[in-house]
Amino acid sequence: MTDITYPLYLDLAAGLLLLSAIGVLWRRQLAAMINLFAVQGVALAAIVAIIGVHQHSLELALVAAGLGVLRAGVLPHLARRALGNSPAEARETRPVVNVAASLLAAAALTLLAYAVTRPLVALEPSPATAILPAAVTVVLIGFFTLVTRRRALAQVVGFLLLDNGITATAFLAAAGVPLIVELGVSFDLLLVALVLQVLTTRLRSAFGSTDLDELRELHD
Amino acid sequence: MSTLLLLAAIGLPLAAALGYATWGWRRRTTAWTGVVTTGLLAVDAIGLATTVTRHGPAHTAAGLLRADALSAWMLLGVAAVALLACWASPAYLASGHTGGRRARWYAVLLHLFIAAMATAVLAGNLGILWVAVEATTIVTAFLVGHDRTRTALEAAWKYVVICSAAIAIAFLGLVLLYYAARHTGLGSEQALDWASLTGHAHQLDPAVTRIAIGLAVLGFGAKAGLVPMHAWLPDAHSQAPAPVSALMSGVLLPVALYAVLRVKAVADPALGTGYVRTLLVILALATLALAALLLIGQRDYKRMLAYSSMEHMGLIALAAAVGSRLAITALLLHMAGHGLAKTVAFLSSGHILHHHTSAQIADVRALAARMPLLAALFGLAVLALLGFPPAALFASELGIARAGTTAGMTWVTAGAFILVAVSFAAIVAHTGRMMLGPAAGTAPQAATTDHPPATFTLTTALPMIAGLLGVAALGIALGPTTDLLHTAATIVGAP
Amino acid sequence: MTSPAAFVATAVQVVVVAAGAPLLVGLMRQVHARLAGRAGAGIGQPWRDLRKLLRRQPATPVDTGWPFRTAPLLLMGSSLVLAAVVPLLTTASPLDPAADLFAVVGLLALGTVTLALAALDTGTAFGGMGASREITILALVEPTILIAVFALSARVGSTNLAAIVTATLHDPLRVASPASLLAAAALVIVVVAETGRLPVDNPATHLELTMIHEAMVLEYAGTDLALVEWASSMRLTVLLGLLASLFLPWGIAGPGLAALPLALLVFVVKVAGLGIALSTVEVFIAKLRLFRVPELLAGSLVLALLAVASSFFLA
Repeated sequence: MTDITYPLYLDLAAGLLLLSAIGVLWRRQLAAMINLFAVQGVALAAIVAIIGVHQHSLELALVAAGLGVLRAGVLPHLARRALGNSPAEARETRPVVNVAASLLAAAALTLLAYAVTRPLVALEPSPATAILPAAVTVVLIGFFTLVTRRRALAQVVGFLLLDNGITATAFLAAAGVPLIVELGVSFDLLLVALVLQVLTTRLRSAFGSTDLDELRELHD
Repeated sequence: MSTLLLLAAIGLPLAAALGYATWGWRRRTTAWTGVVTTGLLAVDAIGLATTVTRHGPAHTAAGLLRADALSAWMLLGVAAVALLACWASPAYLASGHTGGRRARWYAVLLHLFIAAMATAVLAGNLGILWVAVEATTIVTAFLVGHDRTRTALEAAWKYVVICSAAIAIAFLGLVLLYYAARHTGLGSEQALDWASLTGHAHQLDPAVTRIAIGLAVLGFGAKAGLVPMHAWLPDAHSQAPAPVSALMSGVLLPVALYAVLRVKAVADPALGTGYVRTLLVILALATLALAALLLIGQRDYKRMLAYSSMEHMGLIALAAAVGSRLAITALLLHMAGHGLAKTVAFLSSGHILHHHTSAQIADVRALAARMPLLAALFGLAVLALLGFPPAALFASELGIARAGTTAGMTWVTAGAFILVAVSFAAIVAHTGRMMLGPAAGTAPQAATTDHPPATFTLTTALPMIAGLLGVAALGIALGPTTDLLHTAATIVGAP
Repeated sequence: MTSPAAFVATAVQVVVVAAGAPLLVGLMRQVHARLAGRAGAGIGQPWRDLRKLLRRQPATPVDTGWPFRTAPLLLMGSSLVLAAVVPLLTTASPLDPAADLFAVVGLLALGTVTLALAALDTGTAFGGMGASREITILALVEPTILIAVFALSARVGSTNLAAIVTATLHDPLRVASPASLLAAAALVIVVVAETGRLPVDNPATHLELTMIHEAMVLEYAGTDLALVEWASSMRLTVLLGLLASLFLPWGIAGPGLAALPLALLVFVVKVAGLGIALSTVEVFIAKLRLFRVPELLAGSLVLALLAVASSFFLA
């Protein structure tokens, strides 16, 4: 990978990462959100693979393959299993913040991410760290989705987006964390997704829908 | 020898979980395996404590597991509370009429929980610490939702989502810390190793470290129940089965604050003590204020205990903010005392719930007259939590107050203790209403014919009595643990 | 550049756009018809319609004033100026100083606003409704088009469209940069909204619930209607040509007439290609409900903002 094409490919992959996050805020259909999350998994794996190829590291390439399988294959599959069959359940109809305002909030979050990550980029300027703002934006958008969506599955997608953004930050800033930590993190993420899938199914059978507004019996 | 001790601390609960998964839960036989393994864990913790006091920190598995005095003290706390919880579990499950399959799941998850907490306190690498804390969230998710009621499910959902999101933020902080550490030239394996990090902390870039530490403190603090991401705590602790609530309040919250302490030890040489101190003071005061406010009008006694946990975690966070040796000594003593007292409180509240089926304070009347033993246990536990001597919490709260004023944070400490006084009044009012009154004319609501609750015997009460004795003993004299406590305080406390 | 060659090139550009715009609309309708399984009316049908309309008498409703009467002329005028100013066939136009991003956006807005005022002037319910819908869309589209082209101009250092196109010609890899791709995505949505194509507005509908552009021109007849239709098709051609010039600029002629025939051919191919692509996509998508249109436009605004952010922060 030459010195010109490496930043270009990295920028494109990071752009795809960010756009899929914005797409999750944009779309209302839960199935579309899950597909966009799968696309983001591919983008994340691409980022790690590009960094791995640039550094001639076999370990990073293998990690990229593993990440791709986990975040573009297994996790979307688990999320789709939690989707359920009724058409009334298929879309996020009344988010706490409506779609147009969410998109404008996403633009504001992008600018916030750029402001906050200035010290990070300044520490070690490189094509990889220049894209850190995009990864941090994905983190912020994931958190925003988690907070403003009413459907259980939309919250799950928001959490997974948050985690994708944090993993992207890890690989862009320092070429990943130690392998054992990465393995532990991936395993934990898989288990959290499983737990959330099971809980969503139980919520649906106990409450009749996965509208989180129904969860209001515990309060002070 | 130390390798064996370190590995056994994690291996024993894992073996128990495996045993339960294979052979299930049987009242007479396998139910007591848990007590045996946690008893062995306690012995292992004592062994580790002596090794560490005599020979200094021990590590194994290429530094992934590391025990210094602080870890040993925390492990002792984990083992003690785990022992009490496992000892009380058979009686709790029997009194709740939990069948074979659900009891098996309960036991497997409980021991995996204990294993995860043991890993967290013995982790030498901040990454492993994070993985273990996240694992506790996963394992307790189904424990919180054990009852399968709508409220339990709601509590489980909130718990998993909020804690996982908070822990993810903590991970972002750790990632940025790793980035800063790699920049100082540390290798990939040492950049998250706690010992190496504290050694190289003064070389870390301040701007990046500031962001990293802020995120880590917020994330782990949320797992400890500190404001602003505390909303899961009252729900989860009130809906979980009593032994699980005991473990969560008594150990999980302190383990999360232990993580904050480890992170603080890295932050202070890099950023100076002011940054983390200010952050923790804000979080502590906010938590104390919220807990005090919400305790005043509280109507559910398990939620009351949960908010009391929040209050104590706020106090511990304040002690961590002060950061002097005296403050950390008081903090560690407070963690231990609170763990034991809260365990007894939750265990007895579990039995109160089984006898009255209602968790509302208004539905429990004249407990002291109708069930004197249970009322005595609950009342003494609450008194211990309120900080009456000879409970350890009396000495630790005194220590925190003194440390706060000596360190020049008089106004903050005064405000905090005013809020503690408000909580004190609220808890006394609620508990008094539950305990006192004439027995005649107030029949317990739980007298259903198909599931009469098991009588509360002395054997059922044994674990709680043991817990109360432990709190009292700790409060009177530290005894053999003096050296351990003081060495532990020197690890994270400023002189 | 005030050389005679530049004048000639610009004149050719205006004539081509004026003559070819109805052909483009006919091509798009033909593609749509063929894909829908119909025989279609042929590519030349819009020209036949224009000829028919030009022979008819214009009708002016009672109580309309000068906005209604002058709107077709202003619309046609602004479209002709746009055709001259935007670098479609050549980057060296005598109106080069006016070929600024803000001027072009202003001209587009001028055309839309005159039509909206004319619609209000008629005093009918359809006119008012169409005008309010159009202005809602305009309010969201204006910032997006400004920001998206600004993202492209940030690297070049100038908001002059010809300068941007020339810079892209010299550095082809720039088209694949994130700023460029995001700006392209935003501008595609803007073009669809500005010209009233699906999914924002159905150009073939006359149902009250779904009309936007058609509602505004409902009262026009005869030569007025011919001018309005012609001007609208010219705006579509110019906008598609702008897209092609900004993101696929190869083949555009510089100063001098030698490259002009090639530029003409390439321009026709590019704009026809974009038109066919747009028409094909239209077959497969449905019109968005009106209250969902702001969501789409907010999304394109976010894309444009991201384009600006990435053009500033990614070296």
